[in-house]
Amino acid sequence: MFSSTAYTILAGVIFFVMLIPLLMLSEFIFVEPFFIFHIPSEQEFGFVLILAVCVMSAIVIPMNIYRIKILRKNTSKIGTSIFGSIIGASAGICSCGPIGFALISTFGAAAGTATAFLSNYEIPLRLGSVGLLCLVYYTTTKSISSECKIN
Amino acid sequence: MNKKIILLVVFAVMIVSVALYASSYYSQLMQMQEHRINVSGPVPINLTNGSPVLGSPNAPITIVEFGDYQCEMCYHWYHNTRADIIDNYIDTEKANLVFMDLPGLGRDSFTAAQATYCAEDQGKYWEYHETLYNFQEAVDNGWASKDRLASFAFNLDMDLDEFNDCMDTAKYAKRIKANFDEGVRNGAQGTPMFLIISPDGTVKKISGAQPYSVFSQVIEPML
Repeated sequence: MFSSTAYTILAGVIFFVMLIPLLMLSEFIFVEPFFIFHIPSEQEFGFVLILAVCVMSAIVIPMNIYRIKILRKNTSKIGTSIFGSIIGASAGICSCGPIGFALISTFGAAAGTATAFLSNYEIPLRLGSVGLLCLVYYTTTKSISSECKIN
Repeated sequence: MNKKIILLVVFAVMIVSVALYASSYYSQLMQMQEHRINVSGPVPINLTNGSPVLGSPNAPITIVEFGDYQCEMCYHWYHNTRADIIDNYIDTEKANLVFMDLPGLGRDSFTAAQATYCAEDQGKYWEYHETLYNFQEAVDNGWASKDRLASFAFNLDMDLDEFNDCMDTAKYAKRIKANFDEGVRNGAQGTPMFLIISPDGTVKKISGAQPYSVFSQVIEPML
């Protein structure tokens, strides 16, 4: 499937569209006053998990699009993979940054509780997201190999 | 068919989220640019409600930190960057530091900020500030509850009756609100945010827990 240029490009686009904003929101990349990329101590694992979520999303989502388009199969797996990507992406990004600040200013205590949950459980949520994406990858691979088998 | 609609909705939500983030980021950049152009001459920020000055009051540069005691990024900045700034700029009297509260992350953020000013009444603002960043845990998990704040005061040999009275009467609630408003007025959209005020009054903004090298590159040309 990834021998097709279109799917490789799609995977690259998904990877970078997720990775760059996530690294900026998680304060690994800053562009003002200077462009800088740094991984502070104690945040290495968080960085690795962001990478894992982006890599897995970039693999699993195009695989499921291929499955739907070429094999005309149902859309449940892509739904799960997008759900996994959204959970992995939203965990932790709300803590102290502009999105959390805007949410709390607009929606008050309810948003405060939600953002507190997302930041307090950032690592477990991201781990769960990577686990979910791995599971989708496994079932999709199995499904594609059996459905493409020539009898 | 329904599943396709759900899929489309999910994709639309993702695209809208990215677009919202991009537009918010762009407007922040524009605001910063505007701020940089307009701010020259007298210092535009009101520091009267902030913390006591750390370092020499006569230092040519003032670093203003807007923070929240429950903010994880403020914790990282405190533990990764602050010590270098103190060693190289505060202790050498090239700069001083003022902390202003921007409590928004949880219900205990506000009470923790109040506790620091109650500690200031007993001359222990910075000791209390440092204690809070050394003992920070997850947002609103009880680490900054009233009892815990009192126990921090006890460990710093403070008069507990005076401290509890200060907390119970919410003596500094208005001061913290004023700090928050000052932060918002100066374009704070998250914590930590820093304003570096040069001797001629120009202001440079640094958003987020950026490393020491960034502060150094901003401060050095101002000296």
